[in-house]
Amino acid sequence: MRRIAVSGLGVVSPFGTGVKAYWNGLSAGACAIRPVTLIETEGFRCRIAAEVPDGFGGSLRRSRADRLALAAAREALEDAGLSRVERAEAALAVGAVGGGMLEAEAWYWERFRGRRPPSRPTPRSMLPFSHAEALGNALGLEGPRETLVMACSSGAASLALAADLIADGVVATALAGGVDALTRICFMGFNALKLLCPEPCRPFDRDRRGMSIGEGAAFVVLEELGRARARGARIYATLAGHGMTTDAYHVTSPHPEGEGMVRAMAAALESGRIAPAAVGYVNAHGTATPQNDRIEARAIHEVFAPGRLLVSSTKSMIGHTMAAAGALEAVATILALVHEVVPPTANLETPDPDVAFDCVPRVAREAAVEYAISNSFGFGGQNVTLLFGRA
Amino acid sequence: MARVAVTGVGVVTGAVTGGREQIRAFLASSGAPALSVPSSALGGLIDETEARRLSRICQLSVAAARIALADAGLGPGAGLGLVIGAEFGDLRSTIAFVDGYLHRGPGGLSALLFPNTVMNTMAAATAIAVTARELSLTLNAPTVAGELAIARAAAAVRAGRADAVLAGGVDEFDSALAELLAEGGAPSERRGEGAGFVLLESLDTAEARGARVLGEIAGVAWRALRARPYGVGRGAASRAVAAALDEAGATSGEVGRVWVSASGDGPRDRWEQAILEEALRPARPPQTALASRAGRHAGLGALAVAAAALDEVSRGPAVVHAIARGGTHVALVVRSVHNG
Repeated sequence: MRRIAVSGLGVVSPFGTGVKAYWNGLSAGACAIRPVTLIETEGFRCRIAAEVPDGFGGSLRRSRADRLALAAAREALEDAGLSRVERAEAALAVGAVGGGMLEAEAWYWERFRGRRPPSRPTPRSMLPFSHAEALGNALGLEGPRETLVMACSSGAASLALAADLIADGVVATALAGGVDALTRICFMGFNALKLLCPEPCRPFDRDRRGMSIGEGAAFVVLEELGRARARGARIYATLAGHGMTTDAYHVTSPHPEGEGMVRAMAAALESGRIAPAAVGYVNAHGTATPQNDRIEARAIHEVFAPGRLLVSSTKSMIGHTMAAAGALEAVATILALVHEVVPPTANLETPDPDVAFDCVPRVAREAAVEYAISNSFGFGGQNVTLLFGRA
Repeated sequence: MARVAVTGVGVVTGAVTGGREQIRAFLASSGAPALSVPSSALGGLIDETEARRLSRICQLSVAAARIALADAGLGPGAGLGLVIGAEFGDLRSTIAFVDGYLHRGPGGLSALLFPNTVMNTMAAATAIAVTARELSLTLNAPTVAGELAIARAAAAVRAGRADAVLAGGVDEFDSALAELLAEGGAPSERRGEGAGFVLLESLDTAEARGARVLGEIAGVAWRALRARPYGVGRGAASRAVAAALDEAGATSGEVGRVWVSASGDGPRDRWEQAILEEALRPARPPQTALASRAGRHAGLGALAVAAAALDEVSRGPAVVHAIARGGTHVALVVRSVHNG
């Protein structure tokens, strides 16, 4: 069985462009959730989100999501030091949901109002696959190419599927990650579902009232471990296993017992042949909705004994970045292993007594962890758990 | 590595709806093109609650999945995975959701429609309908999503990561989408709609339960050829066809037929011909393009795989081949029980 190394990281987050800015924000427990500027929010109960600040570059002829993806993917590839030939053979897996919808919405809004719309969207820029096409073309990636649309678990699923391609010997390297820009549809939809909190979200807090939306992109370079070592690559961590399950229960609500979540975490441990006690940190899905956090905590409890396990939610700092979330949180998990520091759960003031774990309130914790998991759960009951090990 | 058996098929398309027997009859006939799925096609496959609750594209997906499971002689249950390809998702619901806001403001937004704006809504509805609780993937790609989903599912079964997977795709085509494509400058081609799934199992599992095996997916590969986004490339050197044949232990000279993705998009169709000519030369096996009768959509991958598996004439394995604008490129080598 081929082992998988993480040999490159790239991030564009609400903390700014680059892995360094991301880790600085996470380790400081900062919260990047602020009033929305990208879209109109008048009339909505929630009017905040975590937007990516300017500075990520790219041609304005591209969609915002394409530009986020390109900046993060470029950083990951440069970090890994892959040659042009190696890139040409590499697989590309992109988790995406919104595609270039932000720009398509602007066009559709103007068209509805009878005004002359700005440049019209084309199928290539509107749909989720547009990012993979933009990345593949701009970065010279000609291996297997896939776009995963699995709601909030899309980014995590892309890492899992890319790892499978390496494990199966199809490719030696892969670029995998997720991206989403803020869109009106997403913002309006979660408002309509009454899942958004008017204040920055507070995962695992007794008084949590809902989630906050965010945007961003994260990519990692995955590589067969022996090959990475042979070429002297910096190895951040190993992707030691993954689990993907489906609730088959409800289109938006998770299974009330967290049955699918439990199976995903157990499958990740089983595929990595790692005992639950070896895991020291869980980067939770942690959306801060009353329902998700309660069910996820219960599922984590069923798989792991509480003991010294640390659990935290990256979404408390950068919001729920949708298709990018699984990838951004995977990078947070990897960086926690590298720096031996577990990022905190920001805004956590009064821990929920029903959550039997140390959720690292507000302040990062020094902890040398051997294995850590990252949970991502999406609409449709799509559960993905990634298991990372220290390099 | 497990051998991958095709043990069931279900399609709901304008041209044919049903399992292996209906597809066999369709292939033996020469009807006129039928691109839209009539509402009567869903009769008996969707109950009243589902008809009220599910969007049309979800109904297409659920119906085709149920046909495929019945064709395979399997009931809904644990141990089943699902891999769905789609190009456009539920665009009809997305437009309705947005229009609710534009006409009535925040109060016009429907919480029920919102989940349908995410492209995995078909997978969610189908997983619930057939109790598929293992991996559930939605792959988005232009024009080749169905073939890509089947290739990905076959790889999972081959590697032992899944025991049984419903794999295929679904697309809905209507006037709103046609208008959008036209305004966006999309190429003229024969677009259709529908859903199609094949049930893939390891051959050992299939034989142990006495399944009626249609055929075997002996090799799969997917790669990208250099091209601008949504454009047609100049290079024709395909690594996908060679890799799929290699995995199948077959040579280009043995290929009995190619099921191509040609759909009337001239530049893309010519690109596909150049790719196949280079990949298979000097052989020039006969080709069939199902889009000419059913229109191009993500459900067509399952129909092509089933057609290849049901082939009683060709003396060698078939290649199911698909290339999309932008360069996503899929090849599957399918052996029927007659030429395997």
